[in-house]
Amino acid sequence: MAMTMSPKDFATATPSWWCAGCGDYGVLSALKQAMAELGKQPKDVAFVSGIGCSGKISGYLHSYAFHGVHGRALPVATAVKLANRDLTVIAAGGDGDGYAIGAGHFLHAVRRNPNMTYIVMDNQTYGLTKGQSSPTSASGYVTGTSPQGNPDAPINGLAVALAAGGAFLARGFSAHPKILVDLIKQAVEFEGFSVVEVMSPCVTYNKINTYAWFKENVFYVNEQPDYDAADRAHAFDVLMKSEKIPLGVIFKNERATFEAMTHLPEAALAGLQLEANLPALEKIQDSYF
Amino acid sequence: MILNDIEIMFGGQAGDGSLTTGDLIAGVFKRMGLEVYTYKDFPSRIRGGHTNYVIRAGEHPHWGMADFVDGLVAFDLEAVEAHIDEMRPGGFIIFDCTSEKIPDHVRRSDVHWYEIPLAQMAKQDLGLELVRNTISLGALAKLIGMDPEVVRADVAGVYQRKGEKVVDLNMRAIEAGEAYVDRHFSEWPSGYGLRKGTDGDRLIMMGNDAIGYGALVAGCRFMAGYPITPATDVLEWMAKYLPKFGGVAVQAEDELAAINMVLGAAFTGVRAMTATSGPGQALMTEAIGLAGVLEIPVVIVECARTGPSTGMPTKTEQSNLNHLIFSGHGEIPRIVLAPGTIEDSFYLSAEAFNLAEKYQCPVFLLTEQALCQSKATLPRLDLSRVAIDRGKLVSEPVVFGEYERFAFSEDGVSPRVTPGVEGGMHLAAGSEHNPAGVITENAKNRARMMEKRMGKLESMRDDLPKPAIHGDPAADIAILGYGSNCGPILEAQYRLAEQGVATRFFEFRTLWPFPEDEVREFIASAQHVFVVENNYTGQLERLVRYVVGPLERMHRVLKYNGRPFRPIEIVDPILEFAPRALAEVKR
Repeated sequence: MAMTMSPKDFATATPSWWCAGCGDYGVLSALKQAMAELGKQPKDVAFVSGIGCSGKISGYLHSYAFHGVHGRALPVATAVKLANRDLTVIAAGGDGDGYAIGAGHFLHAVRRNPNMTYIVMDNQTYGLTKGQSSPTSASGYVTGTSPQGNPDAPINGLAVALAAGGAFLARGFSAHPKILVDLIKQAVEFEGFSVVEVMSPCVTYNKINTYAWFKENVFYVNEQPDYDAADRAHAFDVLMKSEKIPLGVIFKNERATFEAMTHLPEAALAGLQLEANLPALEKIQDSYF
Repeated sequence: MILNDIEIMFGGQAGDGSLTTGDLIAGVFKRMGLEVYTYKDFPSRIRGGHTNYVIRAGEHPHWGMADFVDGLVAFDLEAVEAHIDEMRPGGFIIFDCTSEKIPDHVRRSDVHWYEIPLAQMAKQDLGLELVRNTISLGALAKLIGMDPEVVRADVAGVYQRKGEKVVDLNMRAIEAGEAYVDRHFSEWPSGYGLRKGTDGDRLIMMGNDAIGYGALVAGCRFMAGYPITPATDVLEWMAKYLPKFGGVAVQAEDELAAINMVLGAAFTGVRAMTATSGPGQALMTEAIGLAGVLEIPVVIVECARTGPSTGMPTKTEQSNLNHLIFSGHGEIPRIVLAPGTIEDSFYLSAEAFNLAEKYQCPVFLLTEQALCQSKATLPRLDLSRVAIDRGKLVSEPVVFGEYERFAFSEDGVSPRVTPGVEGGMHLAAGSEHNPAGVITENAKNRARMMEKRMGKLESMRDDLPKPAIHGDPAADIAILGYGSNCGPILEAQYRLAEQGVATRFFEFRTLWPFPEDEVREFIASAQHVFVVENNYTGQLERLVRYVVGPLERMHRVLKYNGRPFRPIEIVDPILEFAPRALAEVKR
């Protein structure tokens, strides 16, 4: 049953709590637009988020939304997908949620490659706790917890994901809504684990990585005439060696999904008749005689 | 001669095959019609380190070890030194004397010694040192009267997949053992005998397998776990069987992921579980709080081991009770069930899923190394006793705007939709929320939500597994306990009764919400109350005391050396602490 959907169909009555001008608004509206353009139904969308400013996004998308504990959106979302393959599963969180407290799960979700999408809203700071340094903050970034400057080197999430076997890696900018909608659509339609990192400026606490700064410091890889997103080495080079921040679909190469590797049945586990075949169950105890 | 009542211990170095032989002996006893219990005491490493495997057989079911070891099969001196004090006077030791001798200070004169050069016979006569296990089995079989045909059939069954040559080698090993006993010890009988019964409709199963089986029969179709002793068997069991029933088992990257996966699967409408032990349980604590506030039905199997930290990973303890009941920031309703036998492990595992879905909260199934990694004979499990009750699960469309996922209700339980149900879209948030799921910090709402969730602890009371009361309900001496201690306590009761001391025993099957009324009533008329548990601080005794108040004649019977109770360790303190009661009874 094809229905024409509008972004409004994915709006909730709850007003959002973000600061005026927050990059996360761009992510939310791009997400609603992408869902509408893909003809998704809210009942078939499971949206899992972590904790932090970005984690609040699950409250603003009309869907089956899950706002769990800090850093654990990916294990929850992976299991939602395994439990019901008919759902469109999207996880979202910030750079702290995904690359600090949840970094382990990020690596292992990439390895597993379940058919779902992960949106990392990167603002290079911890906004909700009032501006501490994050895993993507630049070295030397001065904050309340790093008065002498952030001593850590920033993490390059997409490069890490590529090394771990990432299948679909894209990066967008929340001030470029049309392109972001397209990236999210491609990610959702990709058969496997798709990562969309979004540069999503914090207007309140990050006075360095501002909208103006990003506009000067980003470029799209598809503007390079010979860029081949299926070429892993090429993708590594662009992620590691670019002076500016590369945007667009940086790497895309399908491989077997977690569902395929675990021989998961096509039918949703959630719909299984639980009173299973008794003779088959009895046979199990027969083997203990 | 002691007939049909024996405890054999196989002792040697880990990795030398004594577990396989121990399982073989257990199987032979079972097929000879005896009831069997086994206990594994092995080190936390793959090879090396003293290990032993206890096999107990008798005409009546025992769910624990005896007071003493009757027959020790020792492959090295370390095994003798470690266990000589546990030998029953009149018992016997089969010792591999190939390269070690028994020093005089170790040699007890009240046990029979059968010194056999097992390794030498294996190497020289049969060409493979590994078969010394089977030679020892032949010798043991001869000494205690195990049915030679059953021994041969079972050994052949175990080695069949390794080929005819291996089977043949093991047959010759059995004969070598038998012949050695005939040749050297025909004048020195062991003092033990077995009379063959018939192997009825009974199975022999490990506790962890019974838990997996119960979950599968109850319709669990998703498991996520992280390998941890002694819980790994459950994940392995589910990984083997779940795909055959359309489900999936996931080995997660850590316990944080495992429990969050279980939440995700259960949120989506699949019956889901994890299994872990203390250290993993600690990591899962935050997400279990989330399951409480999101009202997601999850089942967590806790196979307790010796803590804290790494502790002794392969040894038993009951020190996680406080953790299961009280862990976590904030307050949630939770259920803690504890089976006392392998049979009950099956039924309570199945029931855990009904309770989780009916009351939409986390349910713990608490077991311990001494129970979950032990095997016992048990009657055929009755699958028809497992009924599936999914509580207020809604699969039909609901009206968006009217439907409330966290609606207030009399029993605290709200209708539960799962993703895909038309009209049921909502936010499930760990933040406090209103009935519709919208996040709010409104004071009135917060108070009502707390009352709704915590109120389930009262509304569920009648549905919780009832305690089992054993012995004389009017006896002056009352005993309370749970888990692996049930077997030793039952046996202690029997032994006390033989000495004229009547006892009553309260076997907890639900530990939380604490069965306050039942405990109060059980204790009310008792002169002496003994709480038996495997920990240092008396965690269960404190709970009992909290309910009934300070009680002068309440005694702790504690053991915390990593090993399960032997009955005598319960009998003795009861006789010691309750001399007056005993005197009165005797009079």
